[in-house]
Amino acid sequence: MYQIKLPVFEGPFDLLLFLIRKNEIDIYDIPIAQITREYLEYLELMQLLDLEIAGEFIEMVATLILIKTRMLLPNPPEESLEEFEDPRLKLTLQLLEYRRFKESAEHLEDLESVRRQYFPRRVNMKQVLREKFAPEEEFIIDATLFDLLTSFKRALDNMPKITMHHVHPVRVTIEEQVNFIFHHFQGKSFLFFHELIGELPEKIHLVVTFMAILDLMRLNLVSARQQEPFGEIRLVPLSELSFSHYLSLRESLEVDAAVKS
Amino acid sequence: MVNSEDKPNISGIESYSALAIFEALLFSSDEPLTATRVREVVPELKGFEIRKLVEELNEIYRQGGRPYRIDTIAEGFQLFTLPEYAPYVERLHAKRQQARLSARALETLAIVAYKQPVTRHDIEEIRGVSVDGVLKTLLSRNLITIAGTADAPGSPFIYKTTRQFLEYFGLKSLKELPKLKELDEIVEADSEAREKFGEAFLKEIAPEILGMKEHGISEGNEENQEHHPDE
Repeated sequence: MYQIKLPVFEGPFDLLLFLIRKNEIDIYDIPIAQITREYLEYLELMQLLDLEIAGEFIEMVATLILIKTRMLLPNPPEESLEEFEDPRLKLTLQLLEYRRFKESAEHLEDLESVRRQYFPRRVNMKQVLREKFAPEEEFIIDATLFDLLTSFKRALDNMPKITMHHVHPVRVTIEEQVNFIFHHFQGKSFLFFHELIGELPEKIHLVVTFMAILDLMRLNLVSARQQEPFGEIRLVPLSELSFSHYLSLRESLEVDAAVKS
Repeated sequence: MVNSEDKPNISGIESYSALAIFEALLFSSDEPLTATRVREVVPELKGFEIRKLVEELNEIYRQGGRPYRIDTIAEGFQLFTLPEYAPYVERLHAKRQQARLSARALETLAIVAYKQPVTRHDIEEIRGVSVDGVLKTLLSRNLITIAGTADAPGSPFIYKTTRQFLEYFGLKSLKELPKLKELDEIVEADSEAREKFGEAFLKEIAPEILGMKEHGISEGNEENQEHHPDE
C-alpha cells in the first residue's frame, strides 16, 4: 500500500500558492496553463482520496480558464497599450493578499505555542464564595433583580407559543397570586422559582405572579436566594406567610407613604 | 530589592506594604488586573507606579527562585508559571486545556485582527473560502465578537477581536501584533512586478507611489496610512 501524504489546503489560494512555491514560479508571472494543469491534478488526487472538495476549488478552475482565454486574445494595438491590463493582475493581487495573512496566521500559531507554556494563576470564584460565605448556611447569595428577571425571561420563553390572539379581560390579580404563592409554600421551607411558575397557564398569570413575588420581597415577607452565582432561584419565607399579615403590612406601607407625601 | 527609604510615604502606606497589597490583589485575581482597576479598588496605591511594583515583585520572585512571574497581558497584570514548568503543570490541566486553533481558524483570526472591524464578506474575499463555521468557532471561544453591523446592503455583522484574543496570544495590546507586510512595500521592493504589470498593478496596489492616493484599494485600516511615503 502506498501512503500518500497530501497537505491539507485551506482554499484555492492556498493550493495555488503551494503550487507556485513547489515549482519555484514567479508569482508576478504565473504560467496559467501549467498551473491550471497541476491544479486539476491535485483536485483529482483529492477526489481519489475522498477528500471533500469545497465548491470554491472548482470555481477557481473556471477563473484560471477565463484568465487563460483572455491571454490568448490578441494584444491591443500599440496606442492603447497603456490601458491594457494583464488578465492575471486580479489573481496575483489576491494571492499576495492571501499570502501575507497566511504568514501572519503562522506567526499567531507561534505565539499560541509559546503562550501555551504559561499557566495563569486560576481562581475558582464559585469555590471561593462558597467556602468563604457559606460554611453552614446553604443558600448564600441574595438574588439580584437581574437574576430574577433572567429567570422570569426563561419562564416566558418556556411558555407554549400561541400564535392566535384572543382578547379577553384579565381575570388575575396580585392578591390572588399572593394567595397562590402562600398556598404553595404550605409545609415547605423554600420554593423553587421555576416550580412555582411552571404550572401557570398563561403569560398574564406569569407576569402577575412575578409582580406578586416582587411585592412580597418589598414587604420583606420572602427573599430570593441562590446557592451560587447564576444558580436556581429559591424563594425563602422571612416572616409569617398569611394573607392577613400581607394585607396589614401593605397597608402600613401605604400609610407611611401617604404621611411622607 | 525593596527599600522603603527611597520611596516617599504616600497615603500612609510604606513602599513595602504597597508591594504586598498589590501582590495580594494579583494573587486573588482570575484575570489580568489593570493599573486603573488597582487604583480604583485601593486608592492608597495612587502614588505608586504599578509598573515599578511589578518589576520589584518579579525581582523578588527571581531571587527567591519562584516558579512564576507577573506578566503584562491585555493591558493588565497576571501571575503566570514559567514555561520551564509547563511539562509538569500541563499534567494537572490536561483535561481542561483547550484544543489548539486550526489553520483555518488562525487565518481567519489574523484577518480579523489586522483588518477589524470586518464583515464575513471581507474575510471570505481574502481567504477565498466560506468562513461561516470558523466564525462560529471563534465566537464560541470568545476570540472575536460581533461589534455591530456594517453600513452596507443587508447590514452584515462586523467582527473584531476580544480581550480574550490578547490573553490567548499573550499580547499586551493590539499594537503589539507584528506589523503586517504591506502590499505596497512588497511591490516597491519588487521592481519586477512593476515591469510586468505596469502602472495598472501599482494603481491597484500602491496608488501613493503614483501620487493618486484617492484610488487606493478599499483597505480602510489605519495601519495602512502610516506607511504612505510623503511625496
